[in-house]
Amino acid sequence: MARITAGIASSHVPLLGMAVDQGKTGDDYFGPIFAGYEWTKDFEKQEKPDVVILVYNDHASAFDMKIVPTFAIGCGESYKSADEGFGPRPVPDVEGHPDLAWHIAQSLILDEFDMTIINEMEVDHGLTVPLSMMFGTPDEWPARVIPLAVNVVTYPVPSGNRCWALGEAIGRAVESFPEDLNVQIWGTGGMSHQLQGPRAGLLNREWDNKFMDLLIGDTDEARWIEHIEYIRETGTEGIEMVMWLIMRGALGKKTRCLHRHYHIPCSNTAIGHLVLEPKPAG
Amino acid sequence: MTERKRITDIHAYLEQFEDVPGTRVFTAARARKGYHINQCAMSLMKPENRERFKADERAYLEEWNLSEEARQAILDRDYNALLDMGGNIYFLSKIISTDGLSFAEAVSSMTEHNFEDYKAMMAAGGRSPEGVRSIKGKY
Repeated sequence: MARITAGIASSHVPLLGMAVDQGKTGDDYFGPIFAGYEWTKDFEKQEKPDVVILVYNDHASAFDMKIVPTFAIGCGESYKSADEGFGPRPVPDVEGHPDLAWHIAQSLILDEFDMTIINEMEVDHGLTVPLSMMFGTPDEWPARVIPLAVNVVTYPVPSGNRCWALGEAIGRAVESFPEDLNVQIWGTGGMSHQLQGPRAGLLNREWDNKFMDLLIGDTDEARWIEHIEYIRETGTEGIEMVMWLIMRGALGKKTRCLHRHYHIPCSNTAIGHLVLEPKPAG
Repeated sequence: MTERKRITDIHAYLEQFEDVPGTRVFTAARARKGYHINQCAMSLMKPENRERFKADERAYLEEWNLSEEARQAILDRDYNALLDMGGNIYFLSKIISTDGLSFAEAVSSMTEHNFEDYKAMMAAGGRSPEGVRSIKGKY
């Protein structure tokens, strides 16, 4: 039986990808950011997940305004790195897991989540930066990846509650897959940042840390945070944190924190990173 | 699970977003208004389009269904004006990349700071949410 053994949350700032690609991860600016991921790189070497369900948002790369799916799941064989205006990142192709992806897609639709199915697309920094942060720079990625793209650009974006519930349904779907697979779910994006308008540059260390606290243990308080609160407290792009709730929902009633990291700033953004494991309630 | 009452009236939901200072939330109304601006920016993901744009920006923009005002704002890299016309920063970022600018530099151009001062503000912990959460509430 497949099982979800860990949940990882991480920001996916494009500049981190450039730091990796240009070998700057140890310098004065990036060193303290990447130091907080060393623990996780070791953890991943020991855990060797077979599959990562990677919740991210496409930054107008695979999807333009022609089609805006709220929740879309990648069921394809493999995905190439997108050209975001400065050439594709020089990273390995991302190998999918069509058997598990289609199983999850079918299960979710039966469970009343009306998913969009993706067979072919390119993946941008939202997906490849977290892979670099957790796996470094291997010749090929050590795990298969199921991309799960969430619309966090065009409003209304899905509610926190809906994201959490989708995570719960993903958890059920994985558990009913017959093959013995070690599956992780990653929620990416955030934390506080605003990239637009005169209010750009907003960061909120206190709120971000309170949000991370709410993903640990048995509280489900975070699923009820309204969109307006994310925008007021963490900036317009802070709304990406609803994607962390999909990860949290998939871990079940209770979690334990294995690793935690927070750093301000990376470019315009607050970096947050959590490694959680599901814990039986009691 | 302690279920909370959520705002499900779309008018009330959208109205909240107009109360955040210095911010344009990318609502459906803005997405409709800025459709061609955003699609034009997106077209710069293709290297051949970037080349043509760089060679003659004005001529490239003439190919798109844009207002003269929008064309001028793109030529001027006036990102606040483009946001007002329904542009979204994720799409506009393709122009930033085409220019070879860092994201932070382009973002700083929308604020009261020059790039140096903006970087200093970020290094010191960023802009505080204090006083810029709500126009009406002034908190």
